[in-house]
Amino acid sequence: MRDRRSFLKFGAGVAIGSVAATIPAMASTNDCGPAIKWDETHDIIIIGSGFGGLSSAINIKRSGIKSVLVLEKMLQFGGNSAINGGWFAVPGNPIQVSEGVKDSPALLVQDQIAAGRGMASEEHLTAIANRALDAFNLCVDSGVRFREGFNMLVGGHSIARAVRTVDGTGGEITRNLYKVAKSEGVDLRNQQYVEDFIMENNKVIGLKVRRNFRYPDLTTGEIVFIKANKGVVVATGGFAMNKQLCKLLDPSIDPTMDCTNAKGATGEVTLTAMSHGALAVHMNMIQTGHWGSPDEGGFGWSNALLSITWHEGMVVSVLNGKRFMNERADRKYCSDRILANRYEDNSPAYPIAFFNYNDHPDDDRVVRALRDEMAWKMDSVEQMATKFNIDPKTLQESIDLHNKHVAERKDPLFDRVMDTAKHLAPPFVVSRIWPKVHYCMGGLKTDLGCRVIGSKNLEPMKNLYAVGEATGGVHGTTRLSSCACLEGLAGGFIVAETINSDNKV
Amino acid sequence: MFKSLLALALSLTLCSAISASELIEVKGKTLGRENHQFIYKDKNACKSCHVSGKKSTTDQACVDCHGTIDTIKIDPKNLVNSHANPHASVHYDTAISCIACHAEHEKKAPLCAECHRSWFKEM
Ligand SMILES: Cc1cc2nc3c(=O)[nH]c(=O)nc-3n(C[C@H](O)[C@H](O)[C@H](O)COP(=O)(O)OP(=O)(O)OC[C@H]3O[C@@H](n4cnc5c(N)ncnc54)[C@H](O)[C@@H]3O)c2cc1C
Repeated sequence: MRDRRSFLKFGAGVAIGSVAATIPAMASTNDCGPAIKWDETHDIIIIGSGFGGLSSAINIKRSGIKSVLVLEKMLQFGGNSAINGGWFAVPGNPIQVSEGVKDSPALLVQDQIAAGRGMASEEHLTAIANRALDAFNLCVDSGVRFREGFNMLVGGHSIARAVRTVDGTGGEITRNLYKVAKSEGVDLRNQQYVEDFIMENNKVIGLKVRRNFRYPDLTTGEIVFIKANKGVVVATGGFAMNKQLCKLLDPSIDPTMDCTNAKGATGEVTLTAMSHGALAVHMNMIQTGHWGSPDEGGFGWSNALLSITWHEGMVVSVLNGKRFMNERADRKYCSDRILANRYEDNSPAYPIAFFNYNDHPDDDRVVRALRDEMAWKMDSVEQMATKFNIDPKTLQESIDLHNKHVAERKDPLFDRVMDTAKHLAPPFVVSRIWPKVHYCMGGLKTDLGCRVIGSKNLEPMKNLYAVGEATGGVHGTTRLSSCACLEGLAGGFIVAETINSDNKV
Repeated sequence: MFKSLLALALSLTLCSAISASELIEVKGKTLGRENHQFIYKDKNACKSCHVSGKKSTTDQACVDCHGTIDTIKIDPKNLVNSHANPHASVHYDTAISCIACHAEHEKKAPLCAECHRSWFKEM
């Protein structure tokens, strides 16, 4: 392949922490600019190895396309998908069927549209929901195990339709799909940082790749050019880990906020696609969660632990030992209240959240949180006050006042609904809270067949496709939980059909 | 910091638990693992792992000598809990490079520690 030459123009690369591009030995130039010397050629190149990338790889390969290459920049495969919570919305799943629960793709889409607050795309959501059973069966057939008889109603859905992997992580899905893809002849490579697209007018014809890249050092590895005869699928996920970009898009996201995502979720391929004319939408819609803990990485145990605290416990500022919010209010209100807790130098004063240990000593949510030291058992108010540097007297007074409101079932301070609130007495389970950045609703706009739309004429760009979290304008304002898993896996089925039909003409 | 060359003999099969071999000065100021000392005696030592360029490498050399991740068992006695087994990870299984967790020239915590902060130490 080394001698194969074509005469093409280089595009402008977008790289986080930019590196001077090393341009390999050039052939003679003509009017179109320097020539590219391709290092190898494939039919389809997929960028990213999460739900979107792996499902695309398997489906495209199965559709008869011979040479399918997956490029992953990190040392590990799977991206956010591998560390995700394993919740997967499947309308019409076997557990619903056995329990006589009536559900359909259309009902799921209805719930998603409500959450999208007028900004979701009904057509895209429908195209995805229609592939939910295909996606679920792909998992089961690939050896993924789901919890027996488990089908839950999760936030924002009107009905129980989320299944969950046995281990409670999407890694159960990615590691099995990885094996299946490999065994069916997909070429999967890690340490391959995609730095730029090679374009021929409006058509992507290959990629500039940093081979043997060693995250995060963009001077490592060597530049190679890989040709993609039939197309490039962008499955690079979101950009929640890119603080600089998040801040540009949404100034309310401040740098003290941690992020649930894998480190590779930095979005440079989305930016690269934009630099070549792709249309990106809803980029400022970045989902944050007020349920984060600064004492663990990722999504962690905090959200599950706080599902007890919000109802039964209370949240106190370490600045003055007092309550400062309605613990049961919505995400945005709680986030704003929590983030207002600052020391004079503006550094975070992580509030503490606690409930009675004795009400839940054996609850898994408590046991693992204490075991992994993201929460602590405090035997007295005094001990808690010392640990978190609060005046013990004020803390005791706040607890007493709260207990009075619990008894009266009325919260005159913040108007919290007190039906589930409990009289608080030590020992307590205490954790610290601070919001985290979690998910990007925005990304590359695609048509219903996963073709990336160009900004020049609002028509699909040639040979450029996108699936999963890298796409935008699907969910609108809020992405419902368990629907990202569905989106990535379903996208693989859709894009495989599109690529085949595009290559027939 | 002179260590007996006996360590040489122990190298390959001795791959115990969640601990790596000691980090020592192996060549000039370069730090390396005690059980890899024999590699550093070679004139082209760097090339054993850094095939293309000094700053980048893959885990090919690790696998060539030690085998793939699924064949290297970790003694459960050395785990903080039964979930904390990086060689049988529910997230990655075999879909991960050795050097995501192991470093030759510096101490490093495994990738898992990014989220599971209390499970692992630097090694
Ligand atoms: C902690 C956590 C828990 C979650 N829990 C759930 C849940 O329970 N249910 C649910 O539905 N959703 C959940 N989500 C959301 C969901 O997991 C993600 O939206 C989804 O995994 C995205 O899949 P993807 O294939 O689009 O991207 P990813 O899985 O993120 O994969 C993208 C891949 O592309 C790679 N990549 C990026 N740039 C480049 C480049 N330049 N060159 C080469 N490769 C590159 C990345 O390294 C990454 O591996 C969760 C998210 C997180 C972070």
